[in-house]
Amino acid sequence: MTSEEIKDLILEIIEDIDDEADFDSLNPDEPLRDQLDLDSMDFLDIVMELRKRHQLQIPEEDYPQLASLNSCVRYLEPLLKDA
Amino acid sequence: MKVPSVVIGGGLSGLAAAIRLARFCPDVILLEQHTRLGGLNSYYYRNKTLLETGLHAITNYAEPGNKKAPLNRLLRQLKINRKSLVFHQQKTSEVRFNNQESLLFSNDFSLLNKEIALKFPGSTSGFHRLCSFLDDFNPFLPAPFRSAKQYLSETLDDPLLVDMLLCPLMYYGSSIENDMDLAQFAIMFQAIYKEGFFRPGGNIKDFLTILSDHFKSLGGTIRLGVKVTRIHHTQGSISGVLLDTGEVIECDHLLSTIGLQETRKILHLEESEEQHQRLGFVESIYQVPADAISTLPSDRTVIFYNENEPFSYQQPDDYADYNSGVICLPYNFKNLNTSATVEVRSTHLASYTKWKETRKNREQYAEVKNAVRRNSLATIEKYVGKFRTNIVYEDTFTPVTIERYTAKKHGAIYGSAMKIKDGDIGFKNLFLAGTDQGFLGIVGSMLSGVSIVNQHILPKF
Repeated sequence: MTSEEIKDLILEIIEDIDDEADFDSLNPDEPLRDQLDLDSMDFLDIVMELRKRHQLQIPEEDYPQLASLNSCVRYLEPLLKDA
Repeated sequence: MKVPSVVIGGGLSGLAAAIRLARFCPDVILLEQHTRLGGLNSYYYRNKTLLETGLHAITNYAEPGNKKAPLNRLLRQLKINRKSLVFHQQKTSEVRFNNQESLLFSNDFSLLNKEIALKFPGSTSGFHRLCSFLDDFNPFLPAPFRSAKQYLSETLDDPLLVDMLLCPLMYYGSSIENDMDLAQFAIMFQAIYKEGFFRPGGNIKDFLTILSDHFKSLGGTIRLGVKVTRIHHTQGSISGVLLDTGEVIECDHLLSTIGLQETRKILHLEESEEQHQRLGFVESIYQVPADAISTLPSDRTVIFYNENEPFSYQQPDDYADYNSGVICLPYNFKNLNTSATVEVRSTHLASYTKWKETRKNREQYAEVKNAVRRNSLATIEKYVGKFRTNIVYEDTFTPVTIERYTAKKHGAIYGSAMKIKDGDIGFKNLFLAGTDQGFLGIVGSMLSGVSIVNQHILPKF
């Protein structure tokens, strides 16, 4: 997956969690949770969806690396390079 | 047979937990010993109508756009579209301490604010302090018991207001006598006063059907009328459950929603000691024709009344304590469809021991039930007006009835006084959710199921 595809994947997952999520003013370097009003329970959905869709096992200690859209891309790019 | 996860208990916490699991790992089996789902919030048929067992009102009403509200967070977690559900908000509820004071509240928090300013002017600033304290307070952090009563007494400086604020919160969710944990108070204050009451469209059976259909559509399996008689475990790890049919279901993860002592029993462990009594309740339903509604209040949804000075919330020695209680008028939610009959419901604290003893003699038990219902009627007519001549059907359930149908020890609807907030009962792959985890009410118990699954099971899949 390219970095753009990974961004789309994350946004698609978030849209699936909250169909009213507003991406227009999303800053890719700021935490997703604050900008989109997501809580830790919603955040777990992102992790679980990545597992379901791409069989990715993301250990709990790595969750902070998924904080912003750009940090998601940095973390997921090597893991999804063949996806 | 072997599955990844099994949930014991088809009440609302079990259903929510099962849905949450099935979203990511469809092979979930939900086991319910009764032939119907719902646990405490189930239904039965009498007089050609469906009667609900537990539901008075659901707390935690929130508007659709409010993403952080517990109700909307819950629906997101279950992936149930809020727009697919119909909710009816309450009209107005009341805390009435007879010959003393009355406080009205609704789903608009400003009503309670105004009522307190009007009736307890000396406590207005104290009440604002309480509200700002609660705004910044995180009730979900692990903390030792802290007395809500003491905190309120110090903040509000008016014992009557303290009791009036506590009364509905205790009746709708306290498993301990005459006090609450401050964290539990904070959760209930938000649930009842700041957010308020609503009912789902239709009846509890329709609501349960939405949940069970959703669970099945995700690939889950529900088995009704099967009782777990034993949980197999070695060295702190569960291998599966034995059913009363003799069948064994092996599983990697097990979630029990049936209560702490009830779970320990099928683990074949000693009951852990309980320091406090379990609280029993007796509830009566009076059915009247819809056209008799004109003699009843048209704008009161729930009335929490008290005639004791001071208010006490404790296990009585008798069949019922009529000195205080809850009167629910389930027809007083907004925009309900009309039906042929409507109900008035009353709830009082009751002694399990007394009812259990009396149950040995069927006839006497039936007589006492009738007498209790008549006494309750006489009491609640003081608050809703006389309606006895219009009653077409009436029924009463006691702590013994509740125990029989829900298998809740002593029929105590709010479970043990001791709560296991993190759901950890000393096993690697068995956790506790529901009543004895500590989140109460329908939204609370469902969030309990979801959060224990999130915390302990999903990260390990």
